[in-house]
Amino acid sequence: MADVVVVPQVKPVQPALRFLRIIPGVLLLAAIGYAGKLLEQNVGAYAKAHHWVFPNIEYVLWAILLGLLISNTVGVPEIFRTGVATYEFWLKAGIVLLGSRFLLGDILKLGGVSLLLVAIEITGAIAFMTFLGRVFHLKPKLITLLAVGSAVCGVSAIIATKGAIDADDEDSSFSIAAILALGALALFTFPLIGHYLHLGDRAYGIWAGLAVDNTAEATAAGALYSDAAGKLAVLVKSTRNAMIGFVVLAYAIYWANQGQAKAVGNKAAFLWQKFPKFVLGFLLISVLATYQFFNKEQVGALANLSRWAFLLTFAGVGLRTNFRDMRKQGLRPFAVGAIGEVVIAVFTLGLVVGAEKLFGF
Amino acid sequence: MGAQENAVQVKKPWRLSLDSWAIVVALLAALLVRAGVFKHIPW
Repeated sequence: MADVVVVPQVKPVQPALRFLRIIPGVLLLAAIGYAGKLLEQNVGAYAKAHHWVFPNIEYVLWAILLGLLISNTVGVPEIFRTGVATYEFWLKAGIVLLGSRFLLGDILKLGGVSLLLVAIEITGAIAFMTFLGRVFHLKPKLITLLAVGSAVCGVSAIIATKGAIDADDEDSSFSIAAILALGALALFTFPLIGHYLHLGDRAYGIWAGLAVDNTAEATAAGALYSDAAGKLAVLVKSTRNAMIGFVVLAYAIYWANQGQAKAVGNKAAFLWQKFPKFVLGFLLISVLATYQFFNKEQVGALANLSRWAFLLTFAGVGLRTNFRDMRKQGLRPFAVGAIGEVVIAVFTLGLVVGAEKLFGF
Repeated sequence: MGAQENAVQVKKPWRLSLDSWAIVVALLAALLVRAGVFKHIPW
C-alpha cells in the first residue's frame, strides 16, 4: 500500500478579505501623515503669532515623530498592523511616480556619478564591516548579513541574503534590528550634520542616498533637508538597490563554496529575481516624462501624488520603529553596526565632497 | 516506497510581487492623470 501523505489544508485568504484587512492601517498611516502636514503648517504659524522661537519642523519629521510616539507608548494595535506594513508599497509607488521629475539625461549624468560612488561605497563598506565583525568575534554569517545590510540596502538586502546563504533567523533579526535602529538615528543626525557642514542640496542628497541604509529612511533623511535633496537621495539609493543582486550572488557563491549554502543554478535568473523591479518603473516614468508624454501641470500632479505616497511611508517608518524590541536584540551586533555606520558615513561624506570638487555637481 | 517519492510539490499560486504592484498602481495613476481624470492633485 502506498504511503498516504497528509498535506495540511491551508485555507487561502480571499483577496477581498485581504484588501479589507489593510484598510484600518492605511487609514492610520494617512491620518498620521496628514496630522504631520497640519502640524507643520499650524505649529510654525502659532509660534510666530506668539513670538516664540521655535524651529521650523517639516511634515516629514512630524509624521515620523507621531508614529514613533504611538509605537513606543500604546503600541500599534493588531487591527492596524497589516495596513501599516503597506508603507513599503507606498514608498515604492512614490519612487516610481518621482521618476516624472527626472529627465533621462539627468539620470544618466547623475546616475553615472552615483554608480561610481555606489561601487566604491559598497566595496569599502563590505570590507570594513567584515573586518569589524571579525574583531568583535561575531558569527561569520551574521557578519555577512550586517555587511550586506549596511553596504547595499538595509532590510530587503538582509532578507534576500538570508535566503541565499541559509543564515539563521536569529542572525537576520539581529541584523535587521541593528540596521533599523541605526536608520532611525540617521534620520535625526544626518540633517543636523548636513546643515552644520553647510552642504548643498545635491551633495547632501547624494550623501544620504549613499550612507543611510534603508530606502524609507534614506528618502526621509533626504526630504528632511530639502525637496531637491530628497530627489537626489532617492536616485542614489535606487542605484544602490539595483546592486543588490550582484552582492547577494557573490555571497551566495562564497557560502556555497564553503559548503554552507545551496549552490546557485542559473545566475541570470538569480540576478533578475533579486533585482528591485520598482527601479524599472522609475526609469519608465522618467522616459515618458523626457519624451513629454506628460505636460507641465501633469508632471506637477504626479510629483504631488508621489509626495502623498511618501507621507504614508514616513508615518509607517515611525510606527514600525520600536526601541524596546531593538534593545532586546543585544549589544554586540548593534555596536558593530553603529561603529560601521559612523565610519561609512564619514567615508561616504569624504567621497561626496571629493566627487563634488571633481565633477562639479 | 521511499519518502522522497511521496514528496508533494505544492505549487504556490502566481502572485504579483510588491514591487510589481507598486509599478502597476503608479503607472495606472500616471495614466489617469495623463487622461485628465485627475486634473489637479493638491498638496
